Amino acid sequence: MAGGRIEQRLRLRAEPPLSEAAVLVRGGPDTQDKLARHARRTARAWSLDGQPLLGISVFAVLDIPLDELLSARFATYRMIHMPAAAWLRDRGFELLPTGLRPHYTVRLRRADSIELDELLAALGPPVANVQYARSTIWREEGRDVPRRHHRRPQ
Amino acid sequence: MYRVDITADLNDEDETGYLWTFLDEARDPGQITPGALVVAGDEDTAAVCQVVDLAPAGDGTIVHLRLLPGLVDDYRQLVERALAS
Repeated sequence: MAGGRIEQRLRLRAEPPLSEAAVLVRGGPDTQDKLARHARRTARAWSLDGQPLLGISVFAVLDIPLDELLSARFATYRMIHMPAAAWLRDRGFELLPTGLRPHYTVRLRRADSIELDELLAALGPPVANVQYARSTIWREEGRDVPRRHHRRPQ
Repeated sequence: MYRVDITADLNDEDETGYLWTFLDEARDPGQITPGALVVAGDEDTAAVCQVVDLAPAGDGTIVHLRLLPGLVDDYRQLVERALAS
């Protein structure tokens, strides 16, 4: 079954832009190849303004402390990237408020080797995740995720 | 090094709040049914997940996965304890 790309423009959260100093988290370590694969997967599923959306996922440290975000969402990652929002914006990457807060999509334009190198540099070097293997529960149905939200297979 | 049931970027999440990937990235798509427990991720980072649902998107089918707490190794130890004679 195929349903066409999921258009994101009207699904973007109506929120003010992240501050330059906002800290983002992405489980890593990333490589150019991994970033390319992930960006292509997003483009296969999602569109923005009718065009395939090349992008990768990050989470912003908003509403809950960093350690709480790391233990709830990133405990399976030994290494993480923690760029500031400004590092990505300064290199021309747009941060789209997709999905549920605090998820964002870093938008790529071409996902060619030059842009992927730029993205890898903007993400910064991977650092040890101090909450590795200290997991708590991430989103729970009924609390963080609406019940009966999901469609059944056709 | 992990041998996952379904390849995914564990960072990915959509408006459902669940992780997602494509069904055709599963080693055996027949295993990917709502309620099934699977290992998702890649050779470097993997997690135990529960399949929530499948939905058409793009040129294929998206699988939503509930990220379960703990490491894959925690589940291995759990099973070993449960099956110890």
